[in-house]
Amino acid sequence: MKAEDVRVCVLRMEGTNCEDEMALAFETVGAKAEKVHIKQLTGVVPADMRRSLEDYDVLAFPGGFSAGDYIRAGAIFAARLKSSVGDQLKAFVDAEKPVLGICNGFQILVELGLLPAIKESMTQVPTAALYNNDSGRFECRPSLLRNDNRGKCVFTSEIPKGKVLTIPSAHAEGKLLSSDPDFVAELEDNDQIVFRYVAPEGDAAYPWNPNGSPSDIAGICNPAGNVMGMMPHPERVLTRFTHPDWTRGYDSEEGDGLLVFMSVMKHLIG
Amino acid sequence: MSADRLMRKRDVPYSLYEIDILSADDGELKELSAEMGLSLSLDEMKVIVDYFRKEGRNPTDVELQSLGQAWSEHCCYKSSKNILKQFVFALDHPDILSRGDAGVMAFDDDYGYALRIESHNHPSAIEPYGGAATGIGGILRDVICMGAQPIGLVDPLCFGPLDTKEELPPGIKHPRYLANGVVNGIRDYGNRMGIPTISGGFFFDDRYTGNCLVNVGCLGIVKKSDLALNYAGGPGEVMILIGGRTGRDGIHGVTFASADLTSTSDEDSRGAVQLGDPITKEPTLHACLEVNAKGLITGMKDLGGGGLSCVVGEMALDAGCGADVDLDKVPLKEEGLAPWEIWVSESQERMMVTCKPENVDAILQIFDMWDVLATPIAKTTDIPHTRLFWNGEMIFDMDLEFLTGGPVYDRPYTIPESSEGRAEEIPKLPSNNDVILSLLSDLNVASKEWAVRQYDHEVRASTVLKPMVGKMNMTGPGDATVLMPVPGRWKGLGAAVGCNPWFCTEDPYRGGKAAIDEACRNLVAVGARPHAFTDCLNFGNPEKPDRLGEFREAVRGLGDICRALGLPIPSGNVSLYNEAPGGKFILPTPMILGTGLIDDVRKAVSADFKESGDRIYAIGRTKGEMGASLLFRRFGGKGGEVPDTDTENLIDTMDRLLNAMDAGCVRACHDCSDGGLAIALAEMCISGDIGADIDLSAMDDLDDMRKLYSESCSRWIAEVPEDRAYDFETVMGDRAKCIGRVGGDKLTIPASGVELSVKEMRKAWNDPIWNIMGGEYQ
Amino acid sequence: MTVVEIRIELKKGVADPEGSNTRKTVESLGFKGVNSVKTVKVFEMDIDAPADRAKEMGEEMCRKLLANPVIQNYKVTVR
Repeated sequence: MKAEDVRVCVLRMEGTNCEDEMALAFETVGAKAEKVHIKQLTGVVPADMRRSLEDYDVLAFPGGFSAGDYIRAGAIFAARLKSSVGDQLKAFVDAEKPVLGICNGFQILVELGLLPAIKESMTQVPTAALYNNDSGRFECRPSLLRNDNRGKCVFTSEIPKGKVLTIPSAHAEGKLLSSDPDFVAELEDNDQIVFRYVAPEGDAAYPWNPNGSPSDIAGICNPAGNVMGMMPHPERVLTRFTHPDWTRGYDSEEGDGLLVFMSVMKHLIG
Repeated sequence: MSADRLMRKRDVPYSLYEIDILSADDGELKELSAEMGLSLSLDEMKVIVDYFRKEGRNPTDVELQSLGQAWSEHCCYKSSKNILKQFVFALDHPDILSRGDAGVMAFDDDYGYALRIESHNHPSAIEPYGGAATGIGGILRDVICMGAQPIGLVDPLCFGPLDTKEELPPGIKHPRYLANGVVNGIRDYGNRMGIPTISGGFFFDDRYTGNCLVNVGCLGIVKKSDLALNYAGGPGEVMILIGGRTGRDGIHGVTFASADLTSTSDEDSRGAVQLGDPITKEPTLHACLEVNAKGLITGMKDLGGGGLSCVVGEMALDAGCGADVDLDKVPLKEEGLAPWEIWVSESQERMMVTCKPENVDAILQIFDMWDVLATPIAKTTDIPHTRLFWNGEMIFDMDLEFLTGGPVYDRPYTIPESSEGRAEEIPKLPSNNDVILSLLSDLNVASKEWAVRQYDHEVRASTVLKPMVGKMNMTGPGDATVLMPVPGRWKGLGAAVGCNPWFCTEDPYRGGKAAIDEACRNLVAVGARPHAFTDCLNFGNPEKPDRLGEFREAVRGLGDICRALGLPIPSGNVSLYNEAPGGKFILPTPMILGTGLIDDVRKAVSADFKESGDRIYAIGRTKGEMGASLLFRRFGGKGGEVPDTDTENLIDTMDRLLNAMDAGCVRACHDCSDGGLAIALAEMCISGDIGADIDLSAMDDLDDMRKLYSESCSRWIAEVPEDRAYDFETVMGDRAKCIGRVGGDKLTIPASGVELSVKEMRKAWNDPIWNIMGGEYQ
Repeated sequence: MTVVEIRIELKKGVADPEGSNTRKTVESLGFKGVNSVKTVKVFEMDIDAPADRAKEMGEEMCRKLLANPVIQNYKVTVR
């Protein structure tokens, strides 16, 4: 497959608001990205606007406040998608096609049961939750993320293990919770932990971990490694010049976030 | 209620009254205006009586209500128009692409950028969350209806001191409650819409306690070929109402904004405050931009103050035509609204587009795709009248010129005394260490991180310089925010706020100039060349000559400095009647949002000190102007001259500094404003997490206090690497004096006895607002 | 027609920042003795079905959408 043959579905509904930069991120690495409204998949649109999931190679859920984050962040998007094209979605994931969720997109993946999906690829009910930040506030601030994945995740294949990236956070509900007390250990065993918040030195105490997530988890993947969700926004740092502190010096004009998108492209086109 | 005598219900199955104004006496006319909530004066009522006498009939309630809206201060600028005409309307610039609902300036060869700021003061004083949120909604619509994609929100806010302990009079809410509600409202609306809140400002003074100011600004980007008009293309077109349903929310918002707040406003006016719904608005934004980009519409305008009653008339009149409206077709939130309520409702999230009849279906299909309600409700005609129909029956028929003309007044004003040569009373001061820590902890200087980090200032991924700059999670205040609005292009747009309401109080003319000077300083500090301004003029009751005198002088100041700079104000807004119960008036507050262009954002400069050993320069001339300075306000100094801008000096210094930056000589730059040079230095140490060693002997011959704390205009501090010092000095000439070096972990100014660790300065600056508003800090 | 009330509350042990923040704030306003504040979400639904069916529907909605079992409990009552 060539880069320009990679078709990315950037899925949105009312309240999704990071679709432009998500599409741009995939286009920057050579893919063809299309912003698709959920109605175009579920079919209540004129024939020429209909789209089918199986026509795409990558599915991306951008950030935002889908449906106003009413009920719970991501819950309405997930329920609408699951009730209409749940089977197609499961088939997409089972075919090991890459699925990315950023911020609200991560919340949607959790509500869909696609993450953490420890026992099956898509659970009936959510088995985790992205819950209110410990501070009780929306937090828009820089984060340092360490790639802790041992090689399973297709979105970090080009990022050396242990490398620290600067990726901004902007969310009010990013604390990953599960009712299973051994949750973190299981994720660790399955190589499902992708990114952890770290500090320049010492523990990643607040504000370096902006939400209080246990074990400083910022992003996880499913056991197969093709579905990844993360709270911080790699698509906001495609160039060095949207980094928080670039005026203090830099080595490369490329932004740290680009690596996530380069990784998945490398995975697809070899 | 003798006015009841004049109300005649028309025999129709809905609420419609004819009002017998032709037989009313003066007392009854006044009562009518009050009881119907028209806020019209007796003289204005008499002009209306004359009109209908000529028509040979009495008006309906719909017609009278419509006049109340159209003739309000908010809609027709009746007290301010002549003053604005005299001083600012004529400011012109070849880059102005439009002076529509938002101003539009050329950005590069292919794109323009939109800018506008307006007030949402009164609604926010009553219900801060909804008031602020709907303020954001309104300003976004102003930008969208230019065909522009909003790219940044800017929200300067004025409140009473957050730690006010005194018992507040009835009807006045605690500043902390108001600030919290307003910030939450901006956060929830801006974040949900996905438009970054990139700049703003907080101004605290007890004269804002009874009447807070919530100003909301917005920038947008538009392809020149997509620039939209705000009016119809001619007769025979269709008007389509877009977005939210119409309800009773927001009825009389305009007339409410044009009257002073009273202690009962709280109960009376709840209906005037609207509820926001960003999740209806978000797809409306996409759909409106799509129908515009596809060339399906002829004009687009938002429904703001006055609702349908204003938008229909304005869109028709500006196209030289009239309009026939089927009012019964307007989609409603609830049954049983009277026609007049539908006509003047200010329900949120609504826009109007005009189009050729053949494009109606294509437009409706796009809105349907986005699940946004769109309803054709009117047609433009070649008769210069607005006519309303309800199930075919005409209930309104008015000449558009008369309806939208409105009165214009030259009200009496008293010119305030200039501060030139004003005697001063110097306060008793503690040590300079204590003064600096005290000024850093003043709410007007202290960190606003509590608010800044609740706003998503990076969504859209184009924020190059953030509102707070420096070391990650150790940041300090920035000057201007820089956006990179067109993906793939390095050209940048800077945005910064300028206003010093205390200067304006002591000397409105100089204060007006200083507001523009400050916006320029902030822009130049990041390397952006000032390009345009938009202003929100918040003043008191124009029927009081002292208040109008302040307004006139401040506007004259704005006009004079802009003329000298050769820069325009392509959009703006006036908010008068900002007085609290009991007549306590606000500080005169001409809030300026300035925009600047930077050819290559990779050359942008941030305010944090960076490298040990670099030189520090003071740029610009420091004068002994202590009037209205933060030092005097904090320690009880009185009088003194308010800083004046020498515009030739400003222009020359800006040019030189921008050239030095372009040549890569400047590693950090920060403007000197509240608290003067001392506070500027302290802030640069805080954001860089590094100290500085300073010797002010090279500066002009002034005493220590003035060198450290004077707030003279047109000044900056710059950090310059040693190996660029020669080039820098060559470009700057005598405008820049070397005053020290970056390094260590303290700010030291030995001759002034200053020795402060960066850590203690950060604590003094960082904690105050967190401590009041609650929460942890960086 | 049945009116059902659906109450969604946080499970024990799940922190409630909105609640604890509210508690702090009401305390700062001078209200003494407020030991705890819990935020609870209530949906009131008017359903065209007999009581037992309406209750079932409400519970199904909770499982499918209204509650996340990791952090929330739900209770459906017919009024």
